[in-house]
Amino acid sequence: MDDATKLEQLMDYIMKNCLWQFNSRAKDRRKQNVGVLTKTTQLLCDEPVDNPTPLDKCYWVDAVCLAEAYRERYPWLATMDKTAIKTLMQKLHERLDWLTIDGSLNEELTVQHY
Amino acid sequence: MPYHEFECSKVIPERKQHAVIKGAGEDLTSCLPKGYLNTIPGTISERGCAYCGAKHVIGTPMKDVIHISHGPVGCTYDTWQTKRYISDNNNFQLKYTFATDVKEKHIVFGAEKVLKQNIIEAFKAFPEIKRMTIYQTCATALIGDDIEAVAQEVMDEMPEVDIFVCNSPGFAGPSQSGGHHKINIAWLNQKVGTLEPKITSDYVINYVGEYNIQGDQEVMLDYFHRMGIQVLSTFTGNSSYDDLRGMHRAHLNVLECARSAEYICDELRARYGIPRLDIDGFGFEALGNSLKKVGLFFGIEDRAQAIIDEETAKWKPQLDWYKERLRDKKVCLWPGGSKLWHWAHAIQAEMGVKVVSVYTKFGHQGDMEKGISRCGEGALAIDDPNELENQEAMRMLKPDVIFTGKRPGEVAKKMRVPYLNAHAYHNGPYKGFEGWVRFARDIYNAIYSPIYQLSGLDISKDEIAADKGFVTRRMLSDAGLSDEIKSSPILTEYTGKYDSVTDLRAKTYPEFERKTAASAAE
Repeated sequence: MDDATKLEQLMDYIMKNCLWQFNSRAKDRRKQNVGVLTKTTQLLCDEPVDNPTPLDKCYWVDAVCLAEAYRERYPWLATMDKTAIKTLMQKLHERLDWLTIDGSLNEELTVQHY
Repeated sequence: MPYHEFECSKVIPERKQHAVIKGAGEDLTSCLPKGYLNTIPGTISERGCAYCGAKHVIGTPMKDVIHISHGPVGCTYDTWQTKRYISDNNNFQLKYTFATDVKEKHIVFGAEKVLKQNIIEAFKAFPEIKRMTIYQTCATALIGDDIEAVAQEVMDEMPEVDIFVCNSPGFAGPSQSGGHHKINIAWLNQKVGTLEPKITSDYVINYVGEYNIQGDQEVMLDYFHRMGIQVLSTFTGNSSYDDLRGMHRAHLNVLECARSAEYICDELRARYGIPRLDIDGFGFEALGNSLKKVGLFFGIEDRAQAIIDEETAKWKPQLDWYKERLRDKKVCLWPGGSKLWHWAHAIQAEMGVKVVSVYTKFGHQGDMEKGISRCGEGALAIDDPNELENQEAMRMLKPDVIFTGKRPGEVAKKMRVPYLNAHAYHNGPYKGFEGWVRFARDIYNAIYSPIYQLSGLDISKDEIAADKGFVTRRMLSDAGLSDEIKSSPILTEYTGKYDSVTDLRAKTYPEFERKTAASAAE
């Protein structure tokens, strides 16, 4: 399976099952994407995750569920080494930022107030 | 952009940007309709107004409150009891509706005096109720009545009462969604932080964007209580006015309908540092993940898992009975706002149906992002549709069932397309594991109702077979099933009671020991 297909599968799961990537403002979407995907990557690579604030903990719970779903649905993840997983997750992060923020057609993303 | 132009709307060219068909390879950067804009003149919108969105969606589900409209009586009377947000105090907020009955003379001479009279009269008529919400309407907004000043005057004279003023007249936004926004921010600014709640658990949440439609909130509260979680408030279904004043003390905001209530969550996050956790209460997998996430946040995920295991074992075989009979049925998912994304993926994955269209009356582009993401290729997504467009879409897509509100739903029935009430439900609650089976049961009953065979016959010209009866629902649904499925000892129809909510009110829950004596003394 090539990287593009893997990326598509990971993205498809997020878009069909998750809500954290769809906060209403671009500034929050960026924080959510960084928060959840950074911790998901750490979990997939068996690295320690630090949650010093309640907000961090909130990112972490979404990351735990995402990492579990990925491991369960995509057995090919277990065949990848940590460097390859990090590279793939970085591409996923960039793609998600593009779909939900930088390439988004949602005209409310830049409204200043909630 | 894969815009879809309806034949009936060619005379309103701006409408073209409000509908898209998701094609192969399309994503959110190429396929998203416009949304949350003023309705285009000439189209007949199905939207409500900003007053209605504030009062009838978010304000009125509060249960121990006199909800009064300051304006013509029609504003409140014509919208009275159109929702089924029940409560555990004998539905006070559904039974009674109040208005100041503003007339032409008040428009000329002012309506503040009549407002004050009405407030006092209402409190005297219901002396056990000490809380009130007042809603601005178009008429009183235009004449400039100072509702806040009148409310303050009454509170000074009657210190035992507390009043919330919602300044969201009908014209204060493109749709009811403008009213959701206004009342979120107004409640936060006026009332949150004005009362200190009693904390009884180490795990404290606000359950936000949940309106207890046919008991949804009570089902979810049952799960939270089984986990030992204190639900400080529900914004706003079946909730007390005073509970909602203490929202600032929660550890976590669990957000269900982001469309109507993300504003208060975002502000609570910004002002009080309370995190926002978006959840889905619909669908086995989504609900299981939601409970698990709340559990993980507090380190009690084992309690969540126990509930998931128990409920899944009990209800999954019943859900699967319906799934076998609903496979590949075409659904138009046409609710008001959030259910287009709450349901789009879950009904396809867990009931086997195919969503051929999503629409939203008042949703924003953010709702369409979620909805379109959760649909497959070929789905037609429509923003703020009108009735002619709906009819054209039904003729084009030939759905087996429509999930929508009762106004477009009745139109669908006249076209011999079954509909389920997506706003107030048919036989809810639909949240929770059992609720999801009730939803599947209602879909099954709608699609296979024998009435649709009979309604297609015209006794003035069609030949009516006199020697045989009509085909029953079960004969229709089981016609193509294997014997193995038909006679499965595991799969069964819904076995729950007609009323799945009332018993929850008398239920007792285990006491969980708190972590420290200090925290227990809070």
